[in-house]
Amino acid sequence: MEYEFQFHYILQAWPVLMEGLKVTVQLTVIANIIALTLGFVIALLVLSKYWLLRAPFALMIELFRCTPVLVQILWFFYCVPILFGIYLAPLPMGILALGINLACFNAEAYRAAIQAVPREQLDAGVALGFSPLQRVRYVVFPHAFRAALPVLITNGITLFQQSALVAIVALSDLMYMGRQVATQSYRPIETYTAVALIYFAISFPVSRVAAWVEQRLDAARA
Amino acid sequence: MTIDFSFLARYQDALLMGLGMTLRLTLIAFALGIVWGFVLALLRNSSIAPVRWIAAVYVEFFRGTPVLIQIFWIFYCMPIFLGTDLSNFTAAVLCLTLYGGAIMSETFRAGMKSIGREQYDACHALGLSPWTRATRIVLPQATLRSVPVLLSNGIGIFKESSLVSAIGMMELMFIGTTISNRTGRPVEVFTAVALIYFVVAFPLTRLVTWLEKRILKRFAI
Amino acid sequence: MTEIQPLVEMRGVHKNYGTLQVLSGIDLEMRPGDRLVVIGPSGGGKSTLLRIMMGLEDIRRGEIDLLGKRYITGHEQSGKTRIDSTLRKQVGMVFQHYTLFPHLTIISNLTLAAIKTRGMSKPAALDKGMQLLKRLGLESKAQSYPSQLSGGQKQRVAIARALMLDPRLMLFDEVTSALDPELVAEVEAVMLELAEQQMPMMLVTHDMWFAKNIASRVIFCAGGVVVEDGPPEQVLGDPVNPRTREFIERVFHIKT
Repeated sequence: MEYEFQFHYILQAWPVLMEGLKVTVQLTVIANIIALTLGFVIALLVLSKYWLLRAPFALMIELFRCTPVLVQILWFFYCVPILFGIYLAPLPMGILALGINLACFNAEAYRAAIQAVPREQLDAGVALGFSPLQRVRYVVFPHAFRAALPVLITNGITLFQQSALVAIVALSDLMYMGRQVATQSYRPIETYTAVALIYFAISFPVSRVAAWVEQRLDAARA
Repeated sequence: MTIDFSFLARYQDALLMGLGMTLRLTLIAFALGIVWGFVLALLRNSSIAPVRWIAAVYVEFFRGTPVLIQIFWIFYCMPIFLGTDLSNFTAAVLCLTLYGGAIMSETFRAGMKSIGREQYDACHALGLSPWTRATRIVLPQATLRSVPVLLSNGIGIFKESSLVSAIGMMELMFIGTTISNRTGRPVEVFTAVALIYFVVAFPLTRLVTWLEKRILKRFAI
Repeated sequence: MTEIQPLVEMRGVHKNYGTLQVLSGIDLEMRPGDRLVVIGPSGGGKSTLLRIMMGLEDIRRGEIDLLGKRYITGHEQSGKTRIDSTLRKQVGMVFQHYTLFPHLTIISNLTLAAIKTRGMSKPAALDKGMQLLKRLGLESKAQSYPSQLSGGQKQRVAIARALMLDPRLMLFDEVTSALDPELVAEVEAVMLELAEQQMPMMLVTHDMWFAKNIASRVIFCAGGVVVEDGPPEQVLGDPVNPRTREFIERVFHIKT
């Protein structure tokens, strides 16, 4: 194999990669915030008594979960402006696409957690004289959030990985910058390895935290 | 602006061909990935520490990096290491298998872990040999418990396959993008593409839920 | 005068989990045909004792003889806890949580070990299994799966599964504690029948009335040592040791 590893190209390109990483982190953090809040709202709607509220959001969840993220991103970038006349800058578009996608996955996690609240706990709430709203606040929400937390964190990490897809619509995230550097310097191995390591260096510790959280929660419940 | 889906009729052969390629990629990667995932799960439980570590690092790496970068790495970098070119089909299958295997090894591990300690005690009390225990007690149960999640993983591979369009693999996503570029009508094209993916994936997810319930009921697992 | 050889002899058995000392020098003897019930507070080491007899736990120090031969030796004395696997095959155990293999039919559950470890032929094992099931009145369940049986039925099958291997000693670890009250009686009936057939057994149970019925000897185990050892009328009725007395009164809510 004839190839000289020249990692100093990476050092040169480092600022460019970091610019991309900034965009990636922005995408991830803001989309996650949207997904965490929107996801809970959607979960409540999907569990409502009224079919008219349940059905459209249940359909929405299935649509976003049963199609590739890439299709959704392309749809957001190319179709939404045409259909709805909404013209946003690429970054907000990306945030929206990723955020709504993840909100649907989070909604499923919230829903499962809400439904897993033991009946006895709700009964205890009634016995203590809580109103329905108080029951949601003091019994359902603490339980559901704790139960859903590991999945929510894992989903957040998944969003971090999937943010790389916005490179395909030329949004200047870490992946896009990596592609630029790799093609311009003819150094795909060093560049892509470096980019992969950067992604890994961020997502691995977070996944360890998620595992630790899950352990703590399991111990507390046992 | 008017929405008109009729022009798609002209392209239905192309779209079907794309879907066919997507399904081919998915099924091959799924089959190979299950085997590879199983091997990985065994390696991660090996008594030889370095084997365990390497397998663990492998799995964490494939789970902790974007699939897109994995595809790019395999398509652009592997040929340099191997000294030969990789067709985009080979690269696509390779990437999806390596990634799918990592995900599915975790599924197998979870299946094995979920077998309660009491079952091991019972095997011990009955004097069953480690081989009998592994083949007649652990393996059947771990497999049964893993099946619904493995199918879910397969659906995941189906969706991730759309990424191989980025290396010019002519599957559904790539064909869709090409048609959209050629006709300048992204709304109809991408909606149709999304619906095609949906029509395949959605029934499968229902099947997974149904299987889970069936298996749960039959074996109280 | 011939001495009756003890079935089981334990001398100075010590066990810890890390820094927690669970058994601090257990000495006990079991005669052939004994039905030994171990009672005591939680964490006192009762289940551990049974698990040690089954070879599921190691011991730090001490020796255990079974059928007159050395069975288990502590790891302080011999580097690693030594256990004679031929003797271990003579011991059968039933656990608190069924542990029937959920993916096998009842009859497969019964015959698997007999075929794989005792070299029984499949027809012989099937025959024996069906006979045991018939004695329990469960032969109609032979092709069913554990999930289709009640808790009491599952435990009775678990007992039958252990009996398939013709054990010389049976260990019962709180086998009725996880059952609904109305299902307890049918399991205890099986155990009483075994007792009538002179099957030696060691039991841990919370059910004091059952203990009184089945035991030929009762041991009160607390703080990792044997506090009192004697016939059921004594240990459960009129204990010698004040600690035993306190425990019995608390459990029975009566004054002895």
